[in-house]
Amino acid sequence: MSHIHIPDGVLPVWLWLAGWIAAVTLIGLAARFGPRGAAARRTVPLVGAVSALVLVTMSTEIVPIAYHINLTVVAGVLLGPWLGAISAFIVVLTLSLLGHGGITVVGLNTLMIATEMALGWALVRGGARLLGRARIAPVAAVATVLTLAMTTTLLVGVVALAGAGAATRDTGALDPETLEFRNPFSDGVIGIGLLGGGHDHEHEAEDDDAHDAEHDEADEDHGHAVDDDHGPALDVGRFAAVVYTLGPIGWLIEALVTAAILGYVARVRPALVLDGALTAEHRPRYGDEQGGH
Amino acid sequence: MDVTAVDRSAVNGASALHRAAPRSKLVAVALLICAVVVATDPLALAGVTLALLGAAGAVRLPLRQMLPLALYPALFAVIFALAAAPGPVTAALIVLKAVTAALGVVVLMFTTPYPQVFAPIQRVTPTIVGDALLMTYRSLFILAEKSADLMRAVRLRAGVSARQPLRSAQATTRALGGLLLYSFDLSQREYDILRIRGYEGGFRVTPQSSTAPAADVAAIVFGSLALALTLAARSLPALAGLTWMTTLAGLALLIAGLLLGRRTR
Repeated sequence: MSHIHIPDGVLPVWLWLAGWIAAVTLIGLAARFGPRGAAARRTVPLVGAVSALVLVTMSTEIVPIAYHINLTVVAGVLLGPWLGAISAFIVVLTLSLLGHGGITVVGLNTLMIATEMALGWALVRGGARLLGRARIAPVAAVATVLTLAMTTTLLVGVVALAGAGAATRDTGALDPETLEFRNPFSDGVIGIGLLGGGHDHEHEAEDDDAHDAEHDEADEDHGHAVDDDHGPALDVGRFAAVVYTLGPIGWLIEALVTAAILGYVARVRPALVLDGALTAEHRPRYGDEQGGH
Repeated sequence: MDVTAVDRSAVNGASALHRAAPRSKLVAVALLICAVVVATDPLALAGVTLALLGAAGAVRLPLRQMLPLALYPALFAVIFALAAAPGPVTAALIVLKAVTAALGVVVLMFTTPYPQVFAPIQRVTPTIVGDALLMTYRSLFILAEKSADLMRAVRLRAGVSARQPLRSAQATTRALGGLLLYSFDLSQREYDILRIRGYEGGFRVTPQSSTAPAADVAAIVFGSLALALTLAARSLPALAGLTWMTTLAGLALLIAGLLLGRRTR
């Protein structure tokens, strides 16, 4: 569950604003504690290329299972946690500008993908040190499953935070329960009675009482999903059931692909997987200490 | 997701929206997203969506290429709505929110080159983030082309077949592994080129000015009206039950926009 496919205007404002604030803070920290000076200049094309790779793979289907992979663990292994956070922001922002994920959830999505990259990096590096280079593929597979399970749980946590009735109603994210059809001309000369209009005012009070009674019944039917004071809430239990049923299929596919790719790269260029993309031989060249020539 | 089609339209297009200032379009999209956020009435939001489609049709944007991108988030929104929405009206609202916001940003991206969209973001982010954003844009097209070539090569070598899913998956992932190595080499080459050109951090993008002031005003007015409409539908009890009229108005604008676009062809 690499990124949240929740549209704009579903999550309460306080939640996605908090996501943006946390993401901006994370990016600031990444820029401060990540590579600086010449090393930072070296990382610009690297972060660009890896972010572009993640974007391209997200648009590449694995034939014939029609699933788009994410490569977030691979990107994390190559970039490490700080540069991974920057890459996560770039990927999420670009995707949102292509309609893939909402603009308001960019902050939360950045946190999710940055978490995936950092966790993936830590688990793959730790596993490779513990079990050796030869077992990089199974290590990557297990690390991917664990990472995705963790971020899926984070996603359920986000929906649980949003699911509280107070949150949705107070911020106006979701409250369509007043939806009805009325004829605007029913009180005038052209009272044609279309779409439920045309009723006279004497009966309005009765109608309102009946409407309230219907609402109460509907509220009871919805059980905990509807709160009298706070409007309809998201059904977290049902959402978690769907995500934890469908999610493992995605985790498995992603794990197999990540294991195959990292296994292949570990065979042809082991330093990339074991030491990251910025190993000694790939650090800034001589003459770039001051920038340019 | 064909990113090259988006770039082609943004760079080569000559409609009034293409000539409007990126800043005006960004403000309009921000207003539209605010409208999506505050919307609680699916009929009012449907009116906004149809009107936006009509506007895109009127200036002859490539709707056939835009619609799949705008509808793509609906797939995920439907799953989310089925899984979490308390009722069918809320589910419809969730899907409409996804499509309307996506349509807004897709119209922006089809009429504005990426660097112009990124320029304001670049100004407020650390140098490494702003520069990497622009390098991602450059690398994206190179890697998209390379990926297409690799997948074509895999298919030509009979590595991909529905009858042999395991072998197909292996061939595809091997191609992705090759793409990863290529992207790493690409970043090395780009770094060398940047050094030769004297890169010291901080790419500069000159903001594009407007050559169609009327389109600037129209875009901002559209965004403001969308926000005013959804806010009114949410907070004015007098409008309850009447929002179906906005859907009808949106439908009329869509038809008018499509006819206008066809007439000016």
